[in-house]
Amino acid sequence: MEISSIHSFLIRPGKNLENPPEINGTSVPMNGLLYNMLKKVFDSAEEECQHNIAFIPDEDDEQKNECRDSLLSYIKDCDLVHGRRVAKRLQSVTTNRSSLGLMFLISGKHKGENKIVVSRFPADSGILAEEKKKGLSVEFLERIFMKSATSYKAAVYSGRSFAKDFWKGRAVDKQINSADSYISDYWIRDFLRSDFLTPGEAGTRRLAIAVREAMNRSDNPDVKKDITALHRFAAGMPRKVVNAKGLLDQFHVPQATQEEIKERFPRAKLFEENFQFVPSEFLKHVALRTVELDNGGLLTAATERFDDVFTSETVDAAQDVVRFSTEGKIVDQRFRKAKP
Amino acid sequence: MNSLGESYAERRERVLSPLAERLAAHLNKLFDDFARIDRISVRAKSVERFVAKAEKQENGKRKYDDPLNQIQDQVGARIVTFYASDVERVRLEIEKYFRYIESKKIVPESESEFGYEGRHFILFVPEDLIDEKLGGDEPVEFFELQIKTLFQHAWSEAEHDLGYKPSGKLTSEQKRRLAFTAAQAWGADEIFDEMHRQVTNAPSGNR
Repeated sequence: MEISSIHSFLIRPGKNLENPPEINGTSVPMNGLLYNMLKKVFDSAEEECQHNIAFIPDEDDEQKNECRDSLLSYIKDCDLVHGRRVAKRLQSVTTNRSSLGLMFLISGKHKGENKIVVSRFPADSGILAEEKKKGLSVEFLERIFMKSATSYKAAVYSGRSFAKDFWKGRAVDKQINSADSYISDYWIRDFLRSDFLTPGEAGTRRLAIAVREAMNRSDNPDVKKDITALHRFAAGMPRKVVNAKGLLDQFHVPQATQEEIKERFPRAKLFEENFQFVPSEFLKHVALRTVELDNGGLLTAATERFDDVFTSETVDAAQDVVRFSTEGKIVDQRFRKAKP
Repeated sequence: MNSLGESYAERRERVLSPLAERLAAHLNKLFDDFARIDRISVRAKSVERFVAKAEKQENGKRKYDDPLNQIQDQVGARIVTFYASDVERVRLEIEKYFRYIESKKIVPESESEFGYEGRHFILFVPEDLIDEKLGGDEPVEFFELQIKTLFQHAWSEAEHDLGYKPSGKLTSEQKRRLAFTAAQAWGADEIFDEMHRQVTNAPSGNR
């Protein structure tokens, strides 16, 4: 990977300000300790940026996104003038809560493609301790910019064709899961004017169908028990950014069951793709639960109410025999085709 | 056939047609329980139509300098609904499950004109359908989706067929006749939609 230019800009808050502060920027030398650190950011951007994102159009009827345009202008010319356009955009969405930040634009080539990394390091304060011949000196420092583990943000885009490519990218925002919508919207939605590549409903549908298929096709009773429990947890989950693996880990779903679910994904890679979980979409695909008994009995109820509708008691633990009971008024009866 | 046509024909067979099949299955599953959908079809653009589009001129020069990468409707899908208000229902569903870079309601330019109508999207190909075996520039990033009523669909198919006849451009009289049929299709959509709302007590909403 080869870096062709790096520019840095100090971003003060400027959201809703009529006269936002001037933005100072500079070109970063292509050697030295700072360069070495930024080279690592550039080289590892694809791994570091875990979220697949896509630019959304400014207006529905035109294939145009202001943030994409400003990044493309920078890639083409790689100078302070075009970098400042990106910096101004970041400033225009930055409030006092986001505070001061240092933005880096790193442009270069990778496997014959143009690549750009845009990152924001938040300002912090710290203490400088220097050992001297006669003791130690300590000094309070402001405006230290750190690749903070909790609030570092970055995005990476690459491609060959400026017309076709650069609509999709990858981003990292350590605060994306924050319950505070301002913090979670700041980088991806407001600055990048993007959203997750996979919409919440699509990602949730993919997961729900994999869970349902694993339930229906597995002949392992433990897997079925795990999935029944998973349904209870997932049904009560709020809308939040998840990936299938993270969600199953969160609910301590055993590895064997996770594997059964993962196998039902269209591509294994998607098991770890982030999306916003939509509870109502999940429930739509696993709405009914059916228990089949070896005496020919079939019990069906809404999944989340199954255990309320049917009471079960163990009759013979050694033989796994259970008795289900329920009580109600008959409202309908139906014939169904035999199982193939 | 020129080299562009040959390149496209190879890409069509190896990349686009298999994707069109996967996309058709995906859309059909998504709209499985959706009422009043007449059909869902997905096709890879024919070689002839691709080459014709690639050679289009705009302001005295070629519109596309890299047509294989720039033409976004190499895979095209169409969802045909019964009534005009169903187009809006389908649009909302599409926006829930797909990311797009363009969503256009296509209507004639002035109120006194009748012609091509419909909702067009340029959508990202869902990650679920991407063939990991393909490398480099081969994966298809976008596809076009059109949502049309039965009458819009019927009119656009016939109009497209007539427009591609080798006899050349349509005469002014023929164009006038086409506009008349478009007006009739528009009128039929209006009346059917109104009747549908009357018999189902559905509210009249934006379309």
